[in-house]
Amino acid sequence: MKQRITYQPGNSLLHRLHPLIKGGWLLLGTVFVFAIPNPWVVLSTVVFLLFSFHLSGLPPGKVRGLRLFTTTALLLGGLQVLFVRRGMVLLQLGPLAVTAGGVEAGLYVAGRFVSVVLLSYLFVLTTEPNDLAYTLMRAGLPYRYGFALITALRLVPVFEQEGQIVYSAQLARGVQYDVRSPRRFLTLARQFFLPLLVSALGKVDALAVSMEGRCFGRYPTRTFLREVRATWLDGLALGLLVLAVTALGIGKLAGW
Amino acid sequence: MIVIEGLSFRFQASERYALRDVNLWIAPGEFVVVTGPSGCGKSTLALAIGGYLFRQYGGQASGKVTVAGMDARQCPIYDVAEVVGLVQQNPEAQFCTLTVQDEITFGLENRCLPHDEIRERVGWALSIVGAAHLLRRPLATLSGGEKQKVAIAAMMAAKPQVLIFDEPTSNLDPTATAEIFEVIARIRAEAGITVIVIEHKVDYLLPFEPRMVAMEGGRIIYTGPFSKAHRPRLPDRRPSRLLPTETEPIVRVENLNLGYNGHPVLRDLSLDVHPGEFVALMGDNGSGKTTFLQSLLGLLKPYQGRVQVLGQDTRHIPVSRLARDVGFVFQNPDHQLFAESVWQEAVFACRNFGSLDERTRSQVQELLVHCGLGERKEDHPYRLSYGEKRRLNLVSVLAHGPQLVLLDEVLIGQDAANAAFLLELLHRRTEQGGAVIMVNHAPEVTWRYANRLIFFNGGRIAVDAPTEEAFQRLKAMGREVYLPSAGTES
Repeated sequence: MKQRITYQPGNSLLHRLHPLIKGGWLLLGTVFVFAIPNPWVVLSTVVFLLFSFHLSGLPPGKVRGLRLFTTTALLLGGLQVLFVRRGMVLLQLGPLAVTAGGVEAGLYVAGRFVSVVLLSYLFVLTTEPNDLAYTLMRAGLPYRYGFALITALRLVPVFEQEGQIVYSAQLARGVQYDVRSPRRFLTLARQFFLPLLVSALGKVDALAVSMEGRCFGRYPTRTFLREVRATWLDGLALGLLVLAVTALGIGKLAGW
Repeated sequence: MIVIEGLSFRFQASERYALRDVNLWIAPGEFVVVTGPSGCGKSTLALAIGGYLFRQYGGQASGKVTVAGMDARQCPIYDVAEVVGLVQQNPEAQFCTLTVQDEITFGLENRCLPHDEIRERVGWALSIVGAAHLLRRPLATLSGGEKQKVAIAAMMAAKPQVLIFDEPTSNLDPTATAEIFEVIARIRAEAGITVIVIEHKVDYLLPFEPRMVAMEGGRIIYTGPFSKAHRPRLPDRRPSRLLPTETEPIVRVENLNLGYNGHPVLRDLSLDVHPGEFVALMGDNGSGKTTFLQSLLGLLKPYQGRVQVLGQDTRHIPVSRLARDVGFVFQNPDHQLFAESVWQEAVFACRNFGSLDERTRSQVQELLVHCGLGERKEDHPYRLSYGEKRRLNLVSVLAHGPQLVLLDEVLIGQDAANAAFLLELLHRRTEQGGAVIMVNHAPEVTWRYANRLIFFNGGRIAVDAPTEEAFQRLKAMGREVYLPSAGTES
């Protein structure tokens, strides 16, 4: 059974890290793989990230969607290998020539892509979304936006479940998902989405009554009882983050 | 506390008045139960008392609504919300956060209360609903009854003077229903606030001696003591308790084991259902009733054992083909309306099965007329009232003449008259040689219509017997809330 692309409870180092500091590392990691012009460093990053998956108790093979991203990365890399002609020719197949520069570019592009995907997955799978939203709001994000995020997180599984019910209800009335023409596709799409839309509108009404009934939006600010406490581990991670950002900045300025 | 004078309201784009010249006075600390048929204006009245009706819903209003001296039509919604709390029908739809603690603190944080006061109020609100142990739980892990308790606590935390419950038990099994009504009684006793409960299951509330307000067609038709009110009852159908066993079964279930994500839900189920049987499936929420129903249509496949419907093994036949012989009505009417007119909806399945001939057309026409939808054929299904949608759901499933009809809690939110109508239609199907299997939380309905009761407990069949005998066995098991004397209307 593949895991959904959502928070997976755990107690690993990454799970325990403060969401904002983890977000900082996500940002730095993304900048890093684009700023470093060495494909072998990028590939080392991929290996490191896979090791981080292992340490966090998240087997990459069981994460939903990862196969699609890997295939896309291979495709992107493959195109570079085939069409970039630079340096020594390693292989000649008729009109196609695989060059050392092409292989390097392929590894670089695929590595960057996979790194960003793995980083994002690690962040999403190890960060409790509620903690993230509340931390962002405490850090200054207007609370209306923070609760928009929380509401979206809450409603996604609800609509997923309702979509399954509508699909089952259609099968129970003999609907066959046989897309023979664009017109048939549109009919099927309308018949599927209309009940979901009506249900969503009803839910929005109920939610609006519930929020206004509890004074949401009455004042420009609000208090927060929930807090995500920073630990010595977060201090260490923050220190390392600052050092890494500084090193990367100096390195870029020095032209390394 | 609440004074309503000459209140009328019509929703935008509607020709019909949802409320007509409503006059109502409610004293501080009073306990009022509002009842009436589906679509009679009960929930609209609740929205009017909370002031939401005049802000969030477009429409024409006249008359006065005064709550604790405030004009609910003019006052900012937040001022009225300090006095009136509204617990809506579906707790899922009103949750704004992901955990119990966040949900209870939500309204208090919005009011910018200091942390110490928030903590004190959270503790008080959860203890009054008997849910202090739920504080650290994610909302998604709670049962239906627990969710409703949290929804109530979230409103109670604001310490309102009036608390309105809009059908708070409609999605709950009898055990959870009894618990919620106990919570409401406790709130009245301990907090001394005005309580208004909109409810079909009025018999549960008799011991609390509330004032009854009965509505019909947007008007209040009765207000006074419970004892003098006319309470609509289902007709005393009492079908034959003799189970037909001589015929070939429509359903044969053998050693059925089924689950989700490796977690078993149904264990070792074996049973036959014969033509002419009206089977009620009862049991606590989460006991496996709906899963069992879905397995009969092949929506869920067994990982051990087998399910046969009219000799067809559900593992080897597509659902869309099995659906010719099995009609399935789901819980929410809006989830199963796909066409653009009532007529198109009624013949939707027949078209898919390629069986829409002249004879079928005339049968569907007859069914629509019988269900009071004959004049609404060209209307969009979403323009129908809740009760009418339910009838259309049933027509559209019965139209192609399935031998087996499966129903998942279709009586939720239905008044006695609508429920009786639907049940009569189903009863007719059993007389014509079909079988009906219905998930149902109302013992009264089971008593009056079913000739067999199957009671689920933890994914297993705890009782499977003719209705009378089954109720006796439930009594012996200490499941009094499932007996007809514990009583629900519909």
